[in-house]
Amino acid sequence: MTPLDFEAAYAPLWTELEAVIRVAETKRKFDGARLATLYRRVCEHLALAQARAYPIHLTQRLESLTQSAHRLIYRQHDYGLARFARLALVDFPEAVRAHRVYLLVSALMFLLPLLAAGWAAYRDPGFILHLLDASAVQQFDSMYSDSAESLGRTRSAGDDWQMFGFYIMHNIGIGFRCFAAGIFAGVGSAAVVVFNGVQIGAVGGYLIAAGHAENFCSFVITHSAFELTAIVLAGAAGLRLGYAWVAPGRYTRLESLRLAARHAVVIVYGVIGLLLVAAAIEAFWSSARWIAPAVKYGVGGACWVLVLAYLGWQGRPRAAAAAKAEDRAG
Amino acid sequence: MRLDTLYTAETPEGIALSLRPAGLVARGLAYLIDFAIRLGIFTVISIAVGMMGKMGFGILLISYFCLEWLYPVIFELTRAAATPGKRVMGLRVVMDSGLPVTPAAALTRNLLRAADFVPAFYGAGIVSMLWRRDSKRLGDLAAGTLVVFSDHVSLHGEVPAAEPQAPARPLSAREQMAIVSWAGRATRLTPERFDELARVAEPVLGPDTSGASASQRLLGVAQWVLGRRAGADARGGGR
Repeated sequence: MTPLDFEAAYAPLWTELEAVIRVAETKRKFDGARLATLYRRVCEHLALAQARAYPIHLTQRLESLTQSAHRLIYRQHDYGLARFARLALVDFPEAVRAHRVYLLVSALMFLLPLLAAGWAAYRDPGFILHLLDASAVQQFDSMYSDSAESLGRTRSAGDDWQMFGFYIMHNIGIGFRCFAAGIFAGVGSAAVVVFNGVQIGAVGGYLIAAGHAENFCSFVITHSAFELTAIVLAGAAGLRLGYAWVAPGRYTRLESLRLAARHAVVIVYGVIGLLLVAAAIEAFWSSARWIAPAVKYGVGGACWVLVLAYLGWQGRPRAAAAAKAEDRAG
Repeated sequence: MRLDTLYTAETPEGIALSLRPAGLVARGLAYLIDFAIRLGIFTVISIAVGMMGKMGFGILLISYFCLEWLYPVIFELTRAAATPGKRVMGLRVVMDSGLPVTPAAALTRNLLRAADFVPAFYGAGIVSMLWRRDSKRLGDLAAGTLVVFSDHVSLHGEVPAAEPQAPARPLSAREQMAIVSWAGRATRLTPERFDELARVAEPVLGPDTSGASASQRLLGVAQWVLGRRAGADARGGGR
């Protein structure tokens, strides 16, 4: 068969596929079955044309045709609510448990510096000046004191919104950076986690030593359930990236990194959710001085229990069912 | 040594998609365009919420967050698979398997911008892009994505019309391919160069009887290889 015969015999199919692609690219409804059939035919034609070294303009036309069809056929469709619910109810807590070793390391890297710095700042009020400058310390002092300008006393709804925006921009940004920095052998994530642990511990220890224990603790207890877990989780996800690169096992380094990123990014989805909740609570609930500290302790404690239980137990039965289905399929 | 940066990805149907990864300049320009667009949107929002006091400032911070982190993710998940800047530059984001980019990959590659930015102004990303043949930055490496040119370049056109002429001796498959490829570049080469190349193939042209130029005669051979025969417009000579 000569190239001319080939073109004459199949060109109608190609023009039809072109038309189907044009419809599929612009409209929602199109004939998917016809697209798939034509796509497979044209794939055959392309393979033949390449094997027989037909003129390049011909193979190029077939190449661009198959490429557009390929793009349409393998497009992802399931962005819907069901997918989102599955992410929140099964995938995220499952991913957290699958990373429990990284989580443990990240939690220790956060908690040990936090306790150490907290203890140091509690014993020696001057210690905090190693970390923060005096004006920042003074600001913390006035924020948590019982004076009129203290946190939440004179705050309006506008203030709350301003802080909400600030917490979203600042805290979620930290979470993202903590994850991303993990690509440098995990060192970046570790640094972010340790730094945050030291900072938070020192400020906490200092404020408790200065006699603002109740104001401080009642302020942080509720949102910390979400915020601190989120930072530790972001750190764990980052460590996973770094470890995959340092110790790739039986994969190439790049392949290992790619696999790790695919699993770890599920945790980052959850981190975004947790930090959004934390920002809302911190802006609208934690700062409300009219709520009695006892109530805040109660709600805060409940939040801690809820978050830990969610990460520890949510989504297990369904995951088991999914694994069974996979076994059967495999 | 390979000169081009063509990247091939095999599909389940057994064909190879050839992708053209975009280099530093195209992607850098796309970034700058996006940056200008983001700056523009931010300015508009800041003027709009300026009179809303502190609540407006809160909204401004949230929009800053969205523009910094979510703007590329959302645009890369649309059908064009490209931010406006990339679209202007004719780029799109695909998985390195040739598939459309997935939400997880789009998020991963854009979160890792923070790592690419290190130590300043995308230093790590630029080094990685210059280092690699497929111009991936760190985010692309982790997400398994590729930024490619969305359009095909066609260097070859139709074979120009000519009176079909049989070659002086049987041609091997490689020779046939070379002649047809040469003929397809008729519109891109200068006539002199086109003719010069044709004279290289003089031995297959046979003795000159008509006085036509070498390129005219070789075009005839190309038409003959494609299946046209002298005298008859009927296709296929029953090779």
